[in-house]
Amino acid sequence: MPLWDKTGWIPAPQRVAAVLWITFLMAGIATGAFFSAIDPQELKYCVSFPEVSRLGAYTIGFLLFWLLSASSALIAVFFVYPAPPAAAASGLSDQPADPR
Amino acid sequence: MNRYDSSLQSSTSSATPTPSTEDALYEKSHKIYPREVHGLFATARVAAATILLGIFYLLPWVQWDGRQAVLFDLPARKFYLFGLTLWPQDFLYLTFLLMLAAYALFFFTALAGRLWCGYACPQTVWTESFLWIERKIEGTRQQQMKLDRAPMSLRKFRLKATKHAIWIAFSLFTGFMFVSYFTPARELAVRLAGFALGPWETFWLFFYGFATYGNAGFMREQVCKYMCPYARFQSAMFDNDTLVISYDTKRGDPRGSRRSNVDPKQQGLGDCINCTMCVQVCPTGIDIRDGLQYDCIGCAACIDVCDDVMDKMNYPRGLIRYTTQHELEGGKTQVFRPRILVYGAILIALCGLFAWRLSQRVAVGLDVLHDRNQLYREAAGKIENVYLLKVINKDDATHRYTLAVGGIDGIALAEPNPVIEAASGAVVSVPIAVRAAESALPSSSTPVQFSITAEDDPTLTVSTEAKFLGPAK
Repeated sequence: MPLWDKTGWIPAPQRVAAVLWITFLMAGIATGAFFSAIDPQELKYCVSFPEVSRLGAYTIGFLLFWLLSASSALIAVFFVYPAPPAAAASGLSDQPADPR
Repeated sequence: MNRYDSSLQSSTSSATPTPSTEDALYEKSHKIYPREVHGLFATARVAAATILLGIFYLLPWVQWDGRQAVLFDLPARKFYLFGLTLWPQDFLYLTFLLMLAAYALFFFTALAGRLWCGYACPQTVWTESFLWIERKIEGTRQQQMKLDRAPMSLRKFRLKATKHAIWIAFSLFTGFMFVSYFTPARELAVRLAGFALGPWETFWLFFYGFATYGNAGFMREQVCKYMCPYARFQSAMFDNDTLVISYDTKRGDPRGSRRSNVDPKQQGLGDCINCTMCVQVCPTGIDIRDGLQYDCIGCAACIDVCDDVMDKMNYPRGLIRYTTQHELEGGKTQVFRPRILVYGAILIALCGLFAWRLSQRVAVGLDVLHDRNQLYREAAGKIENVYLLKVINKDDATHRYTLAVGGIDGIALAEPNPVIEAASGAVVSVPIAVRAAESALPSSSTPVQFSITAEDDPTLTVSTEAKFLGPAK
């Protein structure tokens, strides 16, 4: 049983880290793999995009990969919590439960 | 057992699960003010930080053959590592390097615990630097705590503003040096001085600078606790013979204060005088006396400070020390155990494989693609196949290559000696037609070898196999 089932609460830094940090690493790996196979200068023939340098293309690619993976992580973290009725019944929410 | 496990156990054992807000893992985070510490391990930590930061900040200024020695030239799609130039086609080598680094981490973790966390992790190194700056400006632990409790005053504002200004300047310099690994440092410095940085370089300079400022100035131990995957899974590599920092409970307990001239045994006390110095110096704010915890980054600050206290009390050193679970239980530490031998063997094998691959690396690549439109055709009484050769010149000079084809009796190029010339880093596509007599083909698909060799350097040679197609037999 996950640890938070007992506490009903994942600390905010942990939630932020789960969404932003891990996906940052993944986006880095994806960017490296993608752009080592594909030269952004070759993409400009098939993508209509304002003229950017390679460094710009890498950056945009990285940010897009990050956005994509972070969105899925955000939804995953959201779904990790029980749906509202169940949460209310068992006293679980995304806030620390009242110790009383 | 670490605290992560123990909290799990304690909460499962209780009948009514209540949120354990007292548990450190769920405690609202408080700022930690680690007390300054001196000693053997503190010196080792400062030395490690100085060497690592020195390498990070100085390496981009080192030249090699008229260019920057270590440069990940993303705009030109080339990585320079001293004498070596890697192209995107060599991505395998970088993957290999990462795997080597991961295995080295496993090996050293199993052997000596969290050496990486305590001495070499960038998070630790930059946090230490930021703490040092903070101490120089705001003073000792007590002075910092007093300052933070005090209401805002001109003095407080001045101290805080100075601290943040220095932190930000240091962070931006760090960001600049980070970008220098991707754009030549000298060129970047000239453009920075002329306010002519490109938009993407500016973005990454501020991004990395901001990350440094946030992680080393504010997040600190929370990065280790919540963000670091390694901190979470390193316990999987630990066993009873792994070097850990531990408090000797048998010797130290029961704890209590005493006058220095009394024999603690007579008062029923152990060697721990409960001065809490080990807690005050801890950068992650834990009490090492609670046992091995996953928050412990193995920095050994508590060892140094406790040894000082033991010296003052005239007790033997090592109440908190580098030890192993086995040794604490009265056994002997086994250094050469299966886990170490297996990790070590894999590490050595990977290193050997990497060195071998690197020594075999030829600065030319050849891909052969069979024409997709037509399997084969008959020409001049022979069977003809058409291929597209892709020649990749990974060398630093332009080369002309000669093409040879073999593997089938009497096979030859339809038009001999095609001109294959490739500039440094270029990929050249050469369409060619190859002919062989039908009688020489043992089957409808026969392997055929293409090899290219640089005209001016016979060592630059590479061979690739393809299929020669003919009528069904």
